[in-house]
Amino acid sequence: MIALLRYQAVNLFRSHRWILPLICYVLLISVGGVGAGSSAVPAYLRAQTLADGLDWSAAILVPVVALLTRSMLTAEPAAARACVSAATGPARAQLATLLVAFAAGVVLAPVGASYELVTAGHKTALLLPFSEGLAKALTCILVGSAVGTLVNPPLIRHQAVALLSTIAAIVVAWVSSISPANAALHGNGATIQSSAWPAGVPMLAAFALVVVSWGASCWLAGGRGG
Amino acid sequence: MRLDAVGKRYGLRQPWIVRNVSQEVAAGRLIRLEGPNGSGKSTLLKMMAGVSTPSAGKVIGRPHTGYVPERFPAALGFGVREYLQHMARIHGLAAADAGTAVGEWLERLGATDYARAPLRTLSKGMCQKVAIAQALLSRPGLLVLDEAWTGLDQAARGALDAAVADRLSAGGTVLFVDHDPARLADRVDERWQLAGGMVIVVAGGAGAARAPAQATVIVELAGVEAASLPALAQLDGVLAVSGGPGIVGEPVTEPGLIAVTIRQAESDALLRELLTWDGVHVAGLRPAQAGPGQHRTGR
Repeated sequence: MIALLRYQAVNLFRSHRWILPLICYVLLISVGGVGAGSSAVPAYLRAQTLADGLDWSAAILVPVVALLTRSMLTAEPAAARACVSAATGPARAQLATLLVAFAAGVVLAPVGASYELVTAGHKTALLLPFSEGLAKALTCILVGSAVGTLVNPPLIRHQAVALLSTIAAIVVAWVSSISPANAALHGNGATIQSSAWPAGVPMLAAFALVVVSWGASCWLAGGRGG
Repeated sequence: MRLDAVGKRYGLRQPWIVRNVSQEVAAGRLIRLEGPNGSGKSTLLKMMAGVSTPSAGKVIGRPHTGYVPERFPAALGFGVREYLQHMARIHGLAAADAGTAVGEWLERLGATDYARAPLRTLSKGMCQKVAIAQALLSRPGLLVLDEAWTGLDQAARGALDAAVADRLSAGGTVLFVDHDPARLADRVDERWQLAGGMVIVVAGGAGAARAPAQATVIVELAGVEAASLPALAQLDGVLAVSGGPGIVGEPVTEPGLIAVTIRQAESDALLRELLTWDGVHVAGLRPAQAGPGQHRTGR
């Protein structure tokens, strides 16, 4: 499995398909994280407190990880995947691609959170919001991964449909009240209204979503057969 | 290794590409799959290689497998040696052994000069060599070759033939599809002929490789009504119908089945036609006892 992960990670890096998600991440972080003092940015986009900034950096992980997952699921040519599948089975090969996209999200999360920490307006009581922010980021990575997995091959094979559903699913994950990412972000009442979800439930729900979506993706990976 | 009622279709409303194939695959045998374009050769190969999951039935006891796809893509961001090194590790080789195996196979296939070249810059033939090398690195117990010889130069074709012989003498099984009927003809132990998604196993051997146009096959049908027997006998390619009430001839494996002797050349179209008949399904398929050239023994 380690050999598979290494192969997929190098494949992602060399395919340059990580560039678009990374640019999205950097742009969104910098827009959301512009200091409270700047009047060039509308008030609703300013990160006024560290908690706000951390919420923002976690929230944008949903689309970024969804796009990374899409990149991974479409990066490997079918025949190359077939060669790998013969050695390891299609399910393990699929799991490795999903894990690499997930890991890329895990690498990005502390980078964004640290940026928020550095640029935060009010530097009081840093540690608690920071660790809470990372927990929210993990929930958002899980949701992003589940979303990216559910609306891309092998679950949705039509290219245009997959792309459009990726965008739609990201929006749903952001705004709908049944989304664990949404619940996590509203959990402490920092940004909008407080959520009805008890603490810890959003992350568990996000984890369950990942198990279901990854399971389906791995199960279907051998369906079309390369 | 054994195939147990293996079938494949690409979607619930799609036709079966391969249906109900139950077959023992003995170790140490060279098996050639034959059939016209679209007869399901590649689909069956992929299922046997473990690349594709059967829609029905299962493949049991598949050994460690190397698979060479029909077309290997250059669209990967690796260099030749780097890609092969990754594949060797994925096939379970330790780092040091992987390096040795990669060097060995690059040399055997005459690709050492291209070790540093990016996959994207390779010609079709060079890509094919990379595809072959990745499958052979771990000396797999099952080697599956889907038209692997296509695009190779003379020396590399010879190297691949030798590699197949190596695998066989080590007790491995080799399955292949190739458009050239003479490919490894003197070594082939079994030829699997695909017709209507089903497999008819014919003994190998050099003579048998030139499949006679007059070869016949017996299809056993279930659910044929007595009233439609005359219509069945009228179909193109049907030579004899037996097993119905009052008709004697070819023995059937179960009472109630109808045995139809058909010309193999027309078997594909005929099976498709029969499967559109209400309530009729194919219970079995075998070479006819009297089929010329079909019972020569292999080596």
